[in-house]
Amino acid sequence: MSAPSIANYIVKRPWLKRWMTPLANWYTDAAGYRKLGLKFDDLIPEESENVQKAIKRLPAKEAYDRVFRIRRAFQCSISHTLLPANEQIKPEEDVEYLSPIIRAVEQEAKERAELETLTLRK
Amino acid sequence: MASAANPTFQYDVSEASGVKVANREVGGATGTLALVAKAGSRYQPFPGFSDALEKFAFKTTLKRSALRITREVELLGGEISASHSRENVVLRAKFLSGDLPYFTELLAEVASSTKFADHELSEVVSDLLKLKQQAVYSNPESVAVDAAHGVAFHRGLGSAQTPSQSTPYEKYVSGDALAQFAQDAYAKSNVALVATGPNSADVTKWVGQFFKDLPAGATSGQYKVQPTQASKYYGGEQRIPSKAGNSVVIAFPGSSAFGTAGFKAEASVLAALLGGESTIKWTPGFSLLSQATKGFNHINISTKNLAYSDAGLFTVTLSGQADQIAAASKNVVDVLKKAAAGEVASEDIKKAIALAKFRALESLQTLDTGLEATGSGLVHGSKPYQIGEIAQAVEKVSEQQVKETAKSFLSGKATLISVGDVHQLPYAEDIGLTV
Repeated sequence: MSAPSIANYIVKRPWLKRWMTPLANWYTDAAGYRKLGLKFDDLIPEESENVQKAIKRLPAKEAYDRVFRIRRAFQCSISHTLLPANEQIKPEEDVEYLSPIIRAVEQEAKERAELETLTLRK
Repeated sequence: MASAANPTFQYDVSEASGVKVANREVGGATGTLALVAKAGSRYQPFPGFSDALEKFAFKTTLKRSALRITREVELLGGEISASHSRENVVLRAKFLSGDLPYFTELLAEVASSTKFADHELSEVVSDLLKLKQQAVYSNPESVAVDAAHGVAFHRGLGSAQTPSQSTPYEKYVSGDALAQFAQDAYAKSNVALVATGPNSADVTKWVGQFFKDLPAGATSGQYKVQPTQASKYYGGEQRIPSKAGNSVVIAFPGSSAFGTAGFKAEASVLAALLGGESTIKWTPGFSLLSQATKGFNHINISTKNLAYSDAGLFTVTLSGQADQIAAASKNVVDVLKKAAAGEVASEDIKKAIALAKFRALESLQTLDTGLEATGSGLVHGSKPYQIGEIAQAVEKVSEQQVKETAKSFLSGKATLISVGDVHQLPYAEDIGLTV
């Protein structure tokens, strides 16, 4: 889906995770997408078959909200403003809503590829 | 009655983990296993549910994806299919004898843990449903037969087997709703397993093992399988304009399935007597309708007794050119009047009895119809089919009974459905029927 990540390496080591969590929170906030009213999953590049399929599978409400957030962020970007603090996405609202579906779609594609290249030994 | 004496033709009925099992040992290289669930369109809570349940068979379950199921079945060399009728949803598997455990497990998995994912509904199932609708509703005969059920029985048996393209069924059908419906449809008390081929002990063993986890009983909520309400015959007339072709169905209250209270063997004999379709090549046959409509070359006529668990519909179907249908439908009523007056050669009745007996026995022996009929008998609580009794019941039919049945058709309310060019097709009054 995206660039290589050391997140798994860190999460597996509790002491390292304790260290890194404040740093990560600071970094995510500083990235600024929440101030434009976006969630992290809105930033995933759409230009791939799997992501397109996953977006189609979103429940109607989620899909609507996603488009709303993206258009709002677009407007903010054009007018060079940030959203007022109460409209910005709070850290607890920034949850994965698309990634689980993308992972499921990827899993399906992988299974299909595996089954398609199956060799049968008897 | 050689076939009745043949022991392998009877089903062994038993129960394994609370599921009814019927098996016919044939001892061949292949076997068939069918799961019959009392969840056909008659019992669906909202339109389209039985269709969607049928199309969701062998789709992704909690354990395997739909693709994996397909590939595995391909590797084993089996055949899986699903269908539904007015009363039942049937899942079928045909396989090499050695693969019985695999396919038993597969059917159990489909019944107990299909996922009913919303995306599968929108990506796969709803398209399949639309194609089915197109197939059904581009055939004027099936439109007419469906409408005949609707007019004759209103709700329950009368609800459309497949919702028409203009039915707003999409608002009812969703993954969650179907999952709830399936829980009730595939409950232990609501299904029966019918097998032919394998050893009875094996079938009971594997069914007992894999069908343990089937949901035990009815769930609450609006998506339950609807309770059985006794079917009542109403009758009436309906005219449906269509460009697909022409068809007229003339229907009367018929006989219910064998083994139920409303079974009347004379209805099946009368159906064979009226006939219309020849069973032998190059001859119109003995049946009264094919004799009476010899001059009409551009129509097909057939007479059937469609039997259900508590009611039946006796239908005469004419399809083809509109003007010929209009003319021939008068002949149908005239022939029926003749039968009611007893002006039928006793030889013809003898032939009809032989044909009716053959048809009844053949439909039970043929895999496609026999499996569902047996399973349906088990889930609807009537006795399993006994070949000998059916044959006897048909043989005992007398000329007087046939005459009485025809008389009762003419005195009661008829059902008349005209589909197609309604400008030319007849009204009930034109052909002398009361509706």
